[in-house]
Formats: sequence, structure tokens, C-alpha cells
Amino acid sequence: NMSEQKTNKEQRYDRQLRLWGDHGQEALENAHTCLLNASATGTEILKNLILPGIGAFTIVDGHKVTGEDVGNKAQAATEFLQELNSDVSGNFVEESPDKLLDNDPEFFHRFSLVIGVQLPESTCQRLGAVLWSAGVPFLVCRTYGLVGYMRLVVKEHTVVESHPDNALEDLRLDQPFTELRNHISSYHLDSMDKKDHSHTPWIIVIAKYLEKWYNEHNCQLPKNYKEKEVFRQLIRDGIRKNENGAPEEEENFDEAIKNVNTALNPTKISSTVDDIFNCVQCENITSQTSAFWMMARGVRDFVQNEGNGSLPVRGTIPDMIADSDKFINLQNVYREKALQDAAVVSKHIQSHLQAVGKVINTNKIQFLHCAAFLRVVRCRSLAEEYSTDTFQKDTITSCMDSPDSEMVLYLMLRSVDRFYQQHSRYPGVYNYQVEEDISKLKLCVNSLLQEHGLSVNVKDDYVHEYSLI
Amino acid sequence: MVQLVGPLSKELADSVSSCKILVVGAGGIGCELLKNLVLTGFKNIEVIDLDTIDVSNLNRQFLFQKKHVGKSKAQVAKESVLRFCPSANITAYHDSIMNPDYNVEFFRSFQLVMNALDNRAARNHVNRMCLAADIPLIESGTAGYLGQVTVIKKGVTECYECQPKPTQKTFPGCTIRNTPSEPIHCIVWAKYLFNQLFGEEDADQEVSPDTADPEAAWNPEDTAARATASDQDGDIKRVSTKDWARSTGYDPVKLFNKVSSGFILCLFKDDIMYLLTMDKLWKKRKAPVPLDWAEMLQLGEDPGCGTGLKDQQVLNVGGYSRLFQHSVETLRSQLADKGDGAELVWDKDDPPAMDFVTAAANLRMHIFSMNMKSRFDVKSMAGNIIPAIATTNAVIAGLIVLEALKVLNSDIQQCRTIFLNKQPNPRKKLLVPCALDRPNPNCYVCASKPEVTVKLNVHKTIVQALQDKILKEKFGMVAPDVQIEDGKGTILISSEEGETEANNGKMLSDFGIRNGSRLQADDFLQDYTLLVNVLHSEELPKDVEFEVVGDAPDKAPPSKAPEEEKSITNGNKDSAQPSTSSKAVVEEDDLLIVDSDEEPSSSTADVSTETSSLKRKHQDAETGEAASKRKRLDQQSADDDDDIIALD
Repeated sequence: NMSEQKTNKEQRYDRQLRLWGDHGQEALENAHTCLLNASATGTEILKNLILPGIGAFTIVDGHKVTGEDVGNKAQAATEFLQELNSDVSGNFVEESPDKLLDNDPEFFHRFSLVIGVQLPESTCQRLGAVLWSAGVPFLVCRTYGLVGYMRLVVKEHTVVESHPDNALEDLRLDQPFTELRNHISSYHLDSMDKKDHSHTPWIIVIAKYLEKWYNEHNCQLPKNYKEKEVFRQLIRDGIRKNENGAPEEEENFDEAIKNVNTALNPTKISSTVDDIFNCVQCENITSQTSAFWMMARGVRDFVQNEGNGSLPVRGTIPDMIADSDKFINLQNVYREKALQDAAVVSKHIQSHLQAVGKVINTNKIQFLHCAAFLRVVRCRSLAEEYSTDTFQKDTITSCMDSPDSEMVLYLMLRSVDRFYQQHSRYPGVYNYQVEEDISKLKLCVNSLLQEHGLSVNVKDDYVHEYSLI
Repeated sequence: MVQLVGPLSKELADSVSSCKILVVGAGGIGCELLKNLVLTGFKNIEVIDLDTIDVSNLNRQFLFQKKHVGKSKAQVAKESVLRFCPSANITAYHDSIMNPDYNVEFFRSFQLVMNALDNRAARNHVNRMCLAADIPLIESGTAGYLGQVTVIKKGVTECYECQPKPTQKTFPGCTIRNTPSEPIHCIVWAKYLFNQLFGEEDADQEVSPDTADPEAAWNPEDTAARATASDQDGDIKRVSTKDWARSTGYDPVKLFNKVSSGFILCLFKDDIMYLLTMDKLWKKRKAPVPLDWAEMLQLGEDPGCGTGLKDQQVLNVGGYSRLFQHSVETLRSQLADKGDGAELVWDKDDPPAMDFVTAAANLRMHIFSMNMKSRFDVKSMAGNIIPAIATTNAVIAGLIVLEALKVLNSDIQQCRTIFLNKQPNPRKKLLVPCALDRPNPNCYVCASKPEVTVKLNVHKTIVQALQDKILKEKFGMVAPDVQIEDGKGTILISSEEGETEANNGKMLSDFGIRNGSRLQADDFLQDYTLLVNVLHSEELPKDVEFEVVGDAPDKAPPSKAPEEEKSITNGNKDSAQPSTSSKAVVEEDDLLIVDSDEEPSSSTADVSTETSSLKRKHQDAETGEAASKRKRLDQQSADDDDDIIALD
């Protein structure tokens, strides 16, 4: 029955598994998200999370609905949304976000993500402070006519599988480890028969011609385009000739030529990963250190000691033209080295864990596989954004100078919020008040600009437009 | 002061509620679009879709639920929308938009047509119908995180076919039958095998060794002796799988019951031994290794390698042998249950059919020394699957409505083609609006007198090929009539049944067609006439029947000029990679322009990756300022950037 369930899920989620894989799906299914305000935007967001199978959602809304679905809005929305996917657990709380913040701020600590839609500025700020200190990601959303706004507030978000678009293979051809070097020397391209020659993995082909190149170039890699072109020609000349002197078709050599550019990239640690190693979280290991930082530290120790400045070997190679035996042997060379490196990293992690008296169960192999692509995302807090001391005045001013910047929309939304704080309603809700609202909104714009010391010009057109919604 | 209804002016709100619109497709984009339309205030909507609901739709097509699986998409979509908007006036058609009932008059009854399609054939057709009816069309597509919306208006903008898109790259028959070198060749072979055994007969889908392989320069007398030596039974000398099947009385049940083991032997052992006798093929290649069936089945259970979902594991040969046997048995009984003369249609979402192709393809990969692939990966390639999520479709459907509002507001100059990217671009935009291009004066569809030149061999091209491969497949006609401009008005092809069938098997040269001949091809339904100039050539490459002169090359040209190019594609092999895959693309920029919501449905077969390049200006919607132009190319996985895979 369990396996049947699994098959059903695989079928239902097939088209998205091909996008974010089973780890992505697992993360989604383990997430519990909270929506504040079951508005049109809020329910639309939840719909797009429920369809792909988020683990659970909770709607917080104190409003009543009228008409056919008379009753509580949170409950009505939960029931309708639940229909979209029975794998998802739907919950609701019939209370306004402000009340909940008054009575039970810890309520929000349990969520993987809190989404606040159309929240008044004061609620947004209060909730922002609670979530910031609890380390819960907060997504602030609002729509206003045809304008939409989204702001992610997260203190620290660590990414192991960042799925980079342009990931290079980790082949170490510039600094082969002993086992790889031995494996390469077990090949003798010149004395091979025709079939073996054309079924030798391109990685070996490049490594072999690199040896030749080194002899003539003082052990320096081909660096620029011109040198790489010469190197490619060297490989091209190595293609076997038929009795008439014409080159044979050797697809593995074609692959080698095609891969010269990327395969000869020097092995080095990206600045993103280097920055992670230099983080204070990586430096100071305590019993509070998360699995991510614990593993990052283990990798750093490896780099600084056994790795001689390089990350652990990733252990995978791409598909290529080769016969199965040669391919598998080569693959094993990389894989075994990766396992060895992983064991060393593991040892470092263990010693740190012991030192702080902690046990963490993590998928280290996975982590090491992604070590080159680790990412840490950090945002500014809402408090920093709103405080006149830390308000990014210069950025905003310079954005306002650029004609296609959307910064003016941000300032208008902030002004509309101000209007709401003052009048407990949005501008333009009553047709007869529009003219009056335009001048009130203009006052809000001016006071916002003034308080933040912004000497920028917001066109009246915007004020008119925002008073009409 | 302007009167407003929500965010719309009173005037616009009125045209929204009074106009009649056509939505073509009720799938990923269609579901989102229908919701947006009624919530925006559109009242009169007609929706058409020939598909039925599948479980794999439920992750995004929110108007459908599990209980609706198997029902008409258009019909269920209508009913679900009426639940939350009972006042809407929706007409649903469970039908193909290419059905002649939907003629130019039908299209003229709408103010606006919105495509939410998943295949090029239907897009071409709706494009022509809208041009003929002079009705504005909003075209859209998504693939994974990427999407695009554009507006097509006769005489004002480019039409969908203004920029030629290279046709599908097909694999030479002998690569599939004799010398596969990549997993995709084995997968194509396995799909052919499925059709040969369970499905519709197709002479172009032969799976047995191709003795006419020019590369083999095969001399039957030389190798006949060896062939006999390796022979188990008489079957080895069969001409084709179909003939062989015919010899068993075409009774599939009997076929499998009687010669079940012999049949398996034939495919993976005897055929391979036969191939080995074509020894010229293996001088430079690694020779295939025939499978010993009994030995395979004795191989122990294999937990498979690879972690995670079952589908993502790679089994050993024994595992695939058992899977093969098992799936053949299941399919055999499925076929028997359907009764006499029944056929199965291959469907990637039908588990036994997918098992069959996974197993057969992997056994062949093993025979030809390739690394085997998981069911998940095979499915991606065999089904030409394009990943799809609710979010992207929701964004695109929203943009469709915004463009529709501009069209209804008679503001076509404000319309844009909009790209949804995976990452913000250097100007920090996720959504990139670009100005619409003017029509291409040489377009073979929307030009005032469309004309093309086709290079072919008049002595080797039969009338049927002109009709099916050139006029229908390449030039998107549905029911062409062809007249030779020879002064006599000879009718070569008539769309009326029974009138010109006798011509089908004859060569073009039999009708006096030669270099410089002109053919007038008409499609009555599409109200479309194309003048075809024949350029006779004896020197077309192997396996190429014809070439359109001036057509886009298969590969995008190297771009030295800072000229922006975009690729419109229906298939995105790269994002079809599971994200856990270690495959990486290094060369190109990360932009892919897409043109499809989801996989082509089996009924409207479509080509996959198109790498055509369209020029366009890159402009910002608000400022109208031309921005830096960039090159867009579609990504392909590193190991086959030469081959464009076309299946179905």
C-alpha cells in the first residue's frame, strides 16, 4: 500500500519532479506554511503551493464572509483549498493576525514560512519582529490595482542544493590525485587497437594530450583562447588516420575537443563558498550550530588540511562515448576518491560534534556532492528597512533617477500604507471622496519623503493613479 | 473624471463583459486563464480541447480533481468554473480545433482568440485561421519556470510562422535499426517496436536490421553462410517485423503465446547476431553483444543503483529482462481485452507501455555498450516531457489577460511579447517585455502572396510524400488541394476523398513536374494558398527527402553581431533533467524561450525542440527605450548538442 501511494504520487507530481527533483519535493512536503488573510492574492498563492503538494497550511483570518458561503473566511477558504489536493493538511484559525500576535506570538514559530498578504504596516512590523527573532522566513505580499509587491524577509537561508545553471564538472585534470594519475598512465593511446582508441573516455584523451602539452609548455595549462585552440589541434592531430591518410571518425576525440574549454578550468573554490567558510557561523562552532554550518566547517577543515586548498572531489563524471568497462573504471576512480574525501570530512565533523557534545544525523554525501555550490541567502530585517537610520536613502535616490526604475511604486505603496494608518481605509474607496483623497495621499507622500530625507520628485500622475483604485 | 469598474475604465469593462472570446486549450495555461477571464469580468467564453484528464495534470490544472480523470478537459473546466462563477456563459467543445467544423466563419464570431496550446501543429493552424478571419490572437507557452506571451494581429505584427522554425530532426533509419550510438536511438527504437507489435503499422518505424544500410555495403552472398550458422529458426530471414507478425496470422495473442520466447530471442539475440554479420559496420565501432535470454533471467535480483524514488533507479540487465517480459505479458492481455483488430496507442503515462519502452531501450543500450538509463530519464526522452508547474502557468495566464485588455482597448501598439525568466536578468527583471516585430514580408503564411522554393528529387518523391511530409507536416496544411501550373491546371492532389488517391504512389516526374515547375497548394479551411516552386536536385543528403530553400539552418548561426535571437521551443531537454542530476550546461546563457505548456498529446503529434532564431528588438514597455541586445539560445545537454530529438 505504501508503494502504491508512492507510485500515485510519482504520477501526480511527475511534471514537477522533473523540475525540482525528489529532494525538492521532499522539502515541499515537509513544509508547513501559514497564510495571513485569505484574500484573492493569499488564496491564489496557497493554491499554487497546495497543487504541487506542500505538507500543510494554516490560514489565519478574522474576517467573516457574506453571501452564499456565509461564515468565517479562514474556514471557507480552507475547505475550498483542501479540495485541490487531499495529500495536504489544511488548518485555519478564526482570528485576526493582530489578536494572535497579542495573545500567542509563539504560535508563529512552528511554520516553515509565513505569508502575510495586505497586512497593515503596523501588523507587518510587529509580525516581522517576532518572525525575525524566531528565524522564520516571512513573505510580505500585497496587490494594489495592477501593481504587485513581494518582499522576502529571512535572516539566514542556507541552500545545499542550489542547482546552479552553469555548473562545471569537477574533474581535477589540472591537479590529478594519485589514483587518477595512475589510472591515466594505465592507458597507452598509441599502442591501442582501433576500437579501444575510439572508445577511450574523452577525459582520458584530454589528460593524455595534456601530458604532451606540459612537456612543451613548462607544465602550464593552456590558458587563453589561442592556446586552447592549439591544444585542440593537438588532440585533433591524434585522431587515427585511415590508409588514405584521412581522419577516421572518432567521436570520443570530438567530445574531447568540444570539452577542452571547460575541462581545463583550474580547480578552485568559488568566492561564494569561500565567503561561507569565512562566516562567523563557520568559525565558532557551538552546540547551537546547525547541520549546515557543522558540515560547512567539516569541509573547510578538509580544504585547509588534507585537501591542500581544494574541495573534496565531487565524484561524478558526465555521460560520454566510451565502452562500458572503461567508463565504469574511470567513474570508480572518481567515486572512490570522493568516498575517501567524504570519510575525512566526516572525521572532522565528528570531532567538532564531540567537542560541543552534539549528535547530528545528516546526509553528508549529499552535502559534499553540492559543496561547490553552497549558498547562504540573507535579507535585511523589516525593522532595518523601516527605520529612518538604516533606510537605504542613497539607493532609493539613485533608483529614482533612472527612468525605468520601479522604485516610485515602492514609495507610493509606502504612502498608501501611511494613508491607511491615518484613515483606516485605502484611498479612493468611495467615488465621492476621490478629489479629497488625492490631496490626502499627496500629504502622505510628502511626509514620507520628508521624514526619510528624500529629495526626490514623485509625479502627481502616480498620486492620481493610486487614488483611483 | 474617468469612471472605473475595479481597475478598468467603464468603457473597457463594458467591452470585457460584452465580447466573445475563444480559448484554445484547457490544460495548464487554459485552466488558469479561464479563472482569470471570469474574474476579470469576461462573460462569453468558448473553450475547446480534445484531451481528457490525466493524473499527471493534477499538479497544476486546478479545475480538475482525481474524480475527473478520463473526462473531457473542456467540459470539466467549464463545470468547475461555473461553480465559482455561475453567471458566466461558457461553451465547451471536446474536440480538435483542426476539425473543419471550426472554419473561418467560426473564428470570425469572436473578438479575440487566446491560445493555450501545447503543440506546434495546432498553433500553426490557429495562427492561419486567425489571419484568415482577421481576428487578434494571443499566443502563449510555458516550460518549467519559463514562459512567454505574445500578440499576433494580421498586418500589424509578426505571425506565429513569420520566422521559419527548423523541422524536427529525425534519426536516419539505419542509426535506429543498425548502429545506435546514443540512448535516444535505443529509446526511439523501443517506441517503434511498441507500435510494430501493439500499435498502428508504420513503414517508417521498422526495427529489424536494415540490410540496405549504405555504410555496410553489404553483400548478402558473403554473409549468408554466417547468418545461417547463427540461426535458430527461419524467422531470422524475415524482411520486416510486420511481415514476420503477418506469418503468425496477425493474431497478436497467438503470436505471443506461441512464440513468446522466440520473439524475445529474435529481438535481442538473433537480430544482433545478424547485425554482426554486417561486419563493415563494426570495423570502427564497438560491436554489439547479443543477449542470452536464459542467462539474463537467471541474474540475481538487483536493488538497482541510484537513490531516491523507484523511478530514478537504474536496474541491471536481469531486472530489465524481467521488466520486459512482464510488460509484454501485460500489454498482450490488454490488447486481447480490446478485441479483434484493436491497437494500443503508446502513452508515456500508461505504466505498462512505459515499462515496455524502458526495458526494451535499456536492453538495447546494454547490447550496444551504453550506460543504461532510469525509467525516469527514459520517460523524459521518450515522452518528450516538458516539466510544468502551476506557478508559471498562473503568471503567464495573468499576462495573457493583461495583453487581452490592451487589445480590447484598441491599444495594440502597447502590446508586447513578454518573457518570463527563471532568474532576474541583469536589469533585475524577471518579466521582460519586448516590442512586437512587424510582419516578415517573406513569410510563407502571412505574406500577401505566399511562396516557397522546395528542393527535392522529382524522380524519387511520390505525391503522397508531397502531401504528407511537405504540405501537411512542413507547411502545416490540414487538407491541401494541389494544382500544377502547367497551363492545363492539372489536379495533382484533391482534398475530396477518392479523387486523386491513384496519384499517391506515383513520382512527381510522372506528372511532368521538373526543375522550375510551380505548384499551387490550397487549403480551403485555412483560406490559405501557397505557391511551391520546385527545385530539382539529385544531391540531397542521405535520409533527406526535401529541403526548403532559405529555411533556417538546424543550428543557430554563430552570432558575431549583437543581434538578439530567441529560440522558440516546444521541448526543453535541459530542464527536463531532474534537478538532482549532475548534468550541467556550461556553454550558453541561461535563457530559453519556450512555447509550450506541456508535452504534446499523442493525438496532435508535434516536434520537439525548435532552434529557430527570431530577431527582435528588446524594449522596455514603459520607456520604449531599446535596451542592450542579447543572444538567446536554448540550452541543450552537453552530450548531444548536435541532435535535436524529435519523437511522437
